[in-house]
Amino acid sequence: MTTAEAPAELDGVTAPPREAVARRSGSAATSILVLPGVLWLVAFFLVPLAIMAVVSVGSVDPAGHITLANPGLGNYTHALDPEFIPALLRSIWYATATTILSLGIGYPVAYWISRYGGRHKVLLLILVMLPFWTSYLIRTYAWVMILRDNGVLNSLLLDSGLIDEPIPILNTDVSVILGMTYGFLPYAILPLFVSIDRLDFSMVQAARDLYASGRGAFLHVTLPLTMPGIIAAGLLTFIPALGDFVTPSVLGGAQTTTIAKLVQTIFTAGRDWPYGSALGFLLMGVTIVGTLIALRSLRREVIGASA
Amino acid sequence: MTERNLPGMSFNEALEEQLARAHWTRREFLRRVAAFGAATALTQLLIACGQAGASATAGAPSTGPTPAGSTTAEATATPAPTPVPSPEDKLFVYNWDAYIGEDTVKQFQDKYGIEVTYDNFPDESTQIGKIQSDGKGGGYDIHYPASTWVPSFVSDGLIQKIDHSLIPNLKNLSTAWQSPAYDPGNAYSVPNFWWTTGYAWDPRDISGSLTSWAELWDPTRKNKMSMLDDLRECFAAGAFRLGLSPNTTSTTELDQILQLLEQQKPLLRFYTATDQITDMINEVVEMAHCWSGDWVQMTYDKPRLKYVIPSEGSIRGNDVMVISSGAPHPIAAHLWIDFNLDGDISAASTNYIGYMGPNDAALPKIDDYIKNDPRLNPPQAVLDELIELEYLKPDDLAEYTDRWNALQA
Repeated sequence: MTTAEAPAELDGVTAPPREAVARRSGSAATSILVLPGVLWLVAFFLVPLAIMAVVSVGSVDPAGHITLANPGLGNYTHALDPEFIPALLRSIWYATATTILSLGIGYPVAYWISRYGGRHKVLLLILVMLPFWTSYLIRTYAWVMILRDNGVLNSLLLDSGLIDEPIPILNTDVSVILGMTYGFLPYAILPLFVSIDRLDFSMVQAARDLYASGRGAFLHVTLPLTMPGIIAAGLLTFIPALGDFVTPSVLGGAQTTTIAKLVQTIFTAGRDWPYGSALGFLLMGVTIVGTLIALRSLRREVIGASA
Repeated sequence: MTERNLPGMSFNEALEEQLARAHWTRREFLRRVAAFGAATALTQLLIACGQAGASATAGAPSTGPTPAGSTTAEATATPAPTPVPSPEDKLFVYNWDAYIGEDTVKQFQDKYGIEVTYDNFPDESTQIGKIQSDGKGGGYDIHYPASTWVPSFVSDGLIQKIDHSLIPNLKNLSTAWQSPAYDPGNAYSVPNFWWTTGYAWDPRDISGSLTSWAELWDPTRKNKMSMLDDLRECFAAGAFRLGLSPNTTSTTELDQILQLLEQQKPLLRFYTATDQITDMINEVVEMAHCWSGDWVQMTYDKPRLKYVIPSEGSIRGNDVMVISSGAPHPIAAHLWIDFNLDGDISAASTNYIGYMGPNDAALPKIDDYIKNDPRLNPPQAVLDELIELEYLKPDDLAEYTDRWNALQA
C-alpha cells in the first residue's frame, strides 16, 4: 500500500513512522514563534476553563452569589439526572445527521473545486467563505423566511400546484438539521479541500493504469488518502453542531430542544452558574472521549495498515 | 377591521393604512425595529460593549461625581443652557430598544446640557449580566430592570438609595404606585412602565370571545399555538389553571403544574420570547401566549388580532428606573428620573411605545386608543386581581428550572 506517506505528511516531519513522530521541534526560534499562540490559548481558553472548573464545584448562596464555601461534586451528580437524556440523544442525532450531510455535500464540492477549479480555485474558495461575511443569526433568520408556512418555499410549492396546503417545515427536525448543515458546511468543505488538493493524483492514475475501475480507484486510493481531511471535517462539524443552540432556538420548535439550550437556560433563567458549568464539563468530557476514540480508530485505519 | 383571506392583501392594506393615517409611520418604524430587532441585536451588543468599555474607563478612577478636569473639557463641547444645582455633565443610560419617547433623550440633553450616552440591550440576560458585571452597575448610571430584580439588587448592593428630594415629580405617581411590594416607598427604584400577561389570537381562525387559559390547551389547535419561552410565565399560566399561586414554592404544586405543562407541550409549535409578534403577524400560529405590549405591536400590522387577560387570573409586571451603586453621575441620574416622571414626557413615551405608565399627570395627554382600551389600561378592579411574579430564592428557582428542563428535554 501507499499509505506509508500519509503519516509523514500528516505530522510534517520526515521521520520513521509511529514512535519517532514525537513533537520534538526543539529550537528556541520555534518556541518564540509559538509563544503568542500559546499565550492566546492560555488566556482565552485555559483560564476560562479553569474558572469554569472551580465554579462547577461551588454552589449558589441564598443571595444568588456563587460561593465555594462547601465545594463538592453535587452539581455533577445533579447533572447526571436522566431528565437530560432525551435532549442529549436529540443533540447527538442532530449533530450526526448534520455531519453526514455536510460530508456528503462537502466532499463532491471540495473535490470539484480542487480538480476542476483551475485558476478560479481561490475565487471558488472565497465563495465558500462568503456567507461568513454576514452574521450567522441574520442568515438563520433568512431561513425562517424561506421555510415558514407562508414563506418562499411553501408559496412556490403551492403556486406550482404540488401541494394544496402548506407543509409545516419550520420548527421541525428537518428545519433544524437543514439550518445546521447550511451553517457548518463551509467548516467541512475547507479541510476536505486541503486534503484533496494535496493528493498526488498520479496515484489515482497509477491505480487506473493497474486496471482499477474509476470507482475502485476512488474507494481504494482517493478516499483512504483523503481520510485525514474527512476526519478533520467530521470533527469540525460534529463538535460545534453538538453544542449549537442558536440554530435549534431560531429554527426549532417546542419538540426540538437540544442539550445546549438546557445549559443556556440553567445559566440565564436558572441563574445557577455552578450547575451549568458542571453540566458543560460533563458534555465536554463526553465530546473529548468520543473524539479521542474516533481519532484513534481512524488513525489505526489510516496509518496502522502499513505498520 | 376587514376580513382577509389572501396573504398578499396584508401588504396593500398596510400601505393604505400608512397613507391614510400619517401618524402611523412612526409606529411602522417601531414595528420594524421589533421585527428586525434580532438582526440588529448583535450590532447593538457590539456597540453596547464598546460604549460600556469606554464608560467604564471614564468612570473607573472616580466613583463619585466627575472631577472638575473633565468638566471643563466637556463644557466647551456642550454649554449648559439651564444651570441646575451642580449636576454632572454626562449620563450613561442602559435601556431596552424602542422603549422610550422618540425625542426624550434629545429633550433631556437640551434642557440640562447633559450629554447622554443611551445604549440598548437585546435581552434581559445581557442587561442583568451588565448590571452584575462589576457589582456596581457596569459603568452605567441608569438601568431599567424588571421590578422583580429590585430586592436582590438591593441586597447585593448593586443599586443606591434614591434621594427623593431631588425628584419632585415623584408626586405624579398614582397612589397605587407610591409603595409597591417589591420596594416599599420606592426607596431604591422608581416605576417606569407596566404590562399584563395573556394571550393573543386571530379571530379569523378562532371565533367567539375567549377568556380562559384552557384555550391554550385545546387539542384542536395542535401545532398552531406558542407559549412564551419564559419558565416563570409558563408555570404561572399552569398555576392559574389549577387555582394555585404563580409564586408557589411547594414542590407538590410544582409537580402538578409540570404535569399540566407536559400535556400542553405536544400541542405547541414552539416556545419563544422573541418571535411571538412576527409569528402572529405572519400567521405561523393562531394563538400566542404574550405580553400586552407584544399584542399592541401585533395590531400595528394586523388590527384584527385580539388579546385577553385570562379570567382565572394573570400576571402583571412593571420595570423600574434604578441608579447603580457605582454610578459615575448620580445627580444627573436623579435629574433623568425626575425628567421622565414629567407628565408631558411620560405621556409622549406611552403614546410612542404603547405601554401605560404609573403617572397620573400623564393620563390626560395619553392617546385615547391606548387609554380607553381595557386590555392596555385595565380598570383598577382588574389590575388588583393580577399578581406580580416574586423574586425566587436560588433553591426555589432551582425547583422551577429542573422541572422546566425536564419539560423541555
